[in-house]
Amino acid sequence: MAEWCEQRDALNQRLAAGQSHAAGKRVPLDRLPALLESVLRPGDRVCLEGDNQKQAEALARALAQVDPARVHDLHMVQSGVVLPEHLDVFEKGIARRLDYSYSGPQAARIARMLFGGKIALGAVHTYLELFARYFIDLTPHVALIAAVSADRDGNLYTGPNTEDTPTVVEATSYKSGLVIAQVAKIVDKVPRVDIPGDLVHFVVETGTPFYVEPLFTRDPAAITETQILTAMLAIKGIYAPYGVRRLNHGIGFSTAAIELLLPTLGERLGLKGKICTHFALNPHPTLIPAIEAGWVEQIHCFGSEVGMEDYVAARPDVFFTGPDGSLRSNRAMCQTAGLYACDMFIGSTLQIDLEGHSSTVTTSRIAGFGGAPNMGSDARGRRHPSDPWVKAGVEADPLGSPALRRGRKLVVQIGETFGEGNAPLFVERLDALDLAHKLDLELAPVMVYGDDVTHIVTEEGIANLLLCRDKDEREQAIRGVAGYTEVGRGRDPAMVARLRERGVIRRPEDLAIDPLDADRSMLAARSIKDLMLASGGLYRPPSRFRNW
Amino acid sequence: MTALPSGLSWLEASARQRLAALLDPGSFAEFIGPEQRERSPHLRLFDLPEQFDDGMIVGRATLCRTPVLVAAQEGRFMGGAFGEVHGAKLTGLLRAAALLGRDVLILFDTGGVRLQEANAGELAISEIMRAIVDLRRAGNRVIGLIGGRAGCYGGGGLIAGCCSALIVSEQGRISVSGPEVIETNKGVEEFDSRDRALVWRTMGGKHRYLIGGADGYVADDPAAFRAATQSALGRSPGLDLSMLHAEHQRLTRRLARFGNARDGTDVWSTLGIADPDAIPGLADDDFRHLADACREVADDAR
Repeated sequence: MAEWCEQRDALNQRLAAGQSHAAGKRVPLDRLPALLESVLRPGDRVCLEGDNQKQAEALARALAQVDPARVHDLHMVQSGVVLPEHLDVFEKGIARRLDYSYSGPQAARIARMLFGGKIALGAVHTYLELFARYFIDLTPHVALIAAVSADRDGNLYTGPNTEDTPTVVEATSYKSGLVIAQVAKIVDKVPRVDIPGDLVHFVVETGTPFYVEPLFTRDPAAITETQILTAMLAIKGIYAPYGVRRLNHGIGFSTAAIELLLPTLGERLGLKGKICTHFALNPHPTLIPAIEAGWVEQIHCFGSEVGMEDYVAARPDVFFTGPDGSLRSNRAMCQTAGLYACDMFIGSTLQIDLEGHSSTVTTSRIAGFGGAPNMGSDARGRRHPSDPWVKAGVEADPLGSPALRRGRKLVVQIGETFGEGNAPLFVERLDALDLAHKLDLELAPVMVYGDDVTHIVTEEGIANLLLCRDKDEREQAIRGVAGYTEVGRGRDPAMVARLRERGVIRRPEDLAIDPLDADRSMLAARSIKDLMLASGGLYRPPSRFRNW
Repeated sequence: MTALPSGLSWLEASARQRLAALLDPGSFAEFIGPEQRERSPHLRLFDLPEQFDDGMIVGRATLCRTPVLVAAQEGRFMGGAFGEVHGAKLTGLLRAAALLGRDVLILFDTGGVRLQEANAGELAISEIMRAIVDLRRAGNRVIGLIGGRAGCYGGGGLIAGCCSALIVSEQGRISVSGPEVIETNKGVEEFDSRDRALVWRTMGGKHRYLIGGADGYVADDPAAFRAATQSALGRSPGLDLSMLHAEHQRLTRRLARFGNARDGTDVWSTLGIADPDAIPGLADDDFRHLADACREVADDAR
């Protein structure tokens, strides 16, 4: 006879087992490891919430303390492998399998542990891809999540850094999974209900806010003149001619420079209202001067940014805010917005090869993907036209039938020909290939595939890959902006000259840009303090970014 | 909305831009300029890049028509660190000033002594300190201007301590041991070098002005540095035993008043500032107004 309710029965058993450590839904902090031992079963799929920003660190600590004799061989399905505890659970044998998306600060250790066989890796995903699999074949049995506060019924307030929580809870709780939340405080009434209490089974009060990394703060003081030059090229050579209004920016210094040039260079060029009006973007502090100058109509956010809470709350016409006044972010929704409703992604990378494949992997570090491959890809399911999308489509396929021609998303890689530590941006062969070989991965970790990239911007100029008609042209277009790197010096000068005549390659002088004009005085803010002042004191920079 | 920044920032400017904006236009004549290529004899041993002026620019000029000798450190070259040539140029300038009877301006921007030429650099620091004392004893002023990115650290902090007057902006930092050095030697519990707000609360321009470690507090703007320098050039020069006695008494008093303070805010609170946490956020003019009512005042002996 068929059994149709085994998962619900299992949930009830978990709830009953956990109840011995709880009063109602409430669990004392010191009972957390015991609670986890009673509700987790060997082999469970577990989502321990954490991404490139927020962390459920109290739950991570508790999970790393459980007895591996009782809880072992867990299959971790989580956005971020960021805290030491995220890997400690593998060292101790509590967890065995891993499917994840981003590993930032643990990039070197995760590579060592993969190599040492401590982790059985499923795959490295983009955020949206992993979220998608939560609903198909990686649905968590138990989710350990983080919120700001809870009421006695378990209604959760996740505040400005809501991020992944609604997605994780949706996938877990509606499929008979167990949800445990850490909150800083249990209150009588939460400021707003981000997660309904009937989806939350246990709540632990930690007394301290969950950790958030200020990952999206770029200090204008560190922006170089070369980065300003690349930013000028991008604005004059891509933003303006395509009229890019809906877009996402990466977190590099070149894109920070673009944000800070909008109220100065952009204003002079008369581009206000014509570019950069709608963003899928975290609340970047470097966007404050452009917002204040009236450039930006609307921003939807993946997460928040430390110190930007009051500023965002004071600009509800620009940001999505809740009835409590504070930001509501949602990573899954914003990733979807970036994929389908943005006409451009522009970001930096560590290595680009001759086909335009790019990667942020080096041989000893596996940093994961986060959201960039999703942002930086053409959405083939897209059906609505827009000027930049159609124009890019025409450039890629000038002879195609207009009514049947797909548009193209602009995917722009921007960077200096030599990056940090004088490492060349352009390489013949990506380190990602060596890493894949070393770790026996089926796919090399490529951040943005070459066939998705439309433009590469360096201080030497812009390569428009949409206009390249074959592999050779593409290679020479890339070499033609690769400066004095080995790849750049290996160019065919005659072919590069022809590409320049056709406008495939455009130099600063072709865009009427004098490199000597690339000066820091062009930036709308030259320090974190300028940003704070531009916000009217609403932006409160974290201590580590202050020089006053 | 607040106005966007405009004009030249002292913090952002190069040493040569600072000189051009500080001094009377066209008045600067450089000694041993880069065309003479007087480079460090040591850096090439380490395969490190050299600079034709070795990061130190010296010369003569006028400021509001007063003739002065000037030295400016280029903080973008090796963090403005002192090496053999870098130091010798300043020593020579100070000795020339004694012969000529001129006041000297030093535009500090330094992390201290260059590790690759530590002995030569340390010797240079002591020679410079001696030359400053000799120059001041002869009745001339040595005025330090501090507001560069590298701050004024290590031997630079010692030299600053010998000057007749120091002018500092909020961004300027003055100390001997830097944040990383303190953390390395005493532990993160003693000093968290990554806590940049703490660094500025204990070594930054506002704190130094409040405890009498600097005499002038100015905006991050060459015109403000120029006005404050002009005013410092009008103060009576000299250095004698009674001044040293007075300074020692002041330092003894300072230790008694602030010796147990753990943070700049403790010091400011003892000074009688009602809301010390608000100090870092205050605009320059508001800060100076508040500070002038309660700050410790340095004697010229420093």
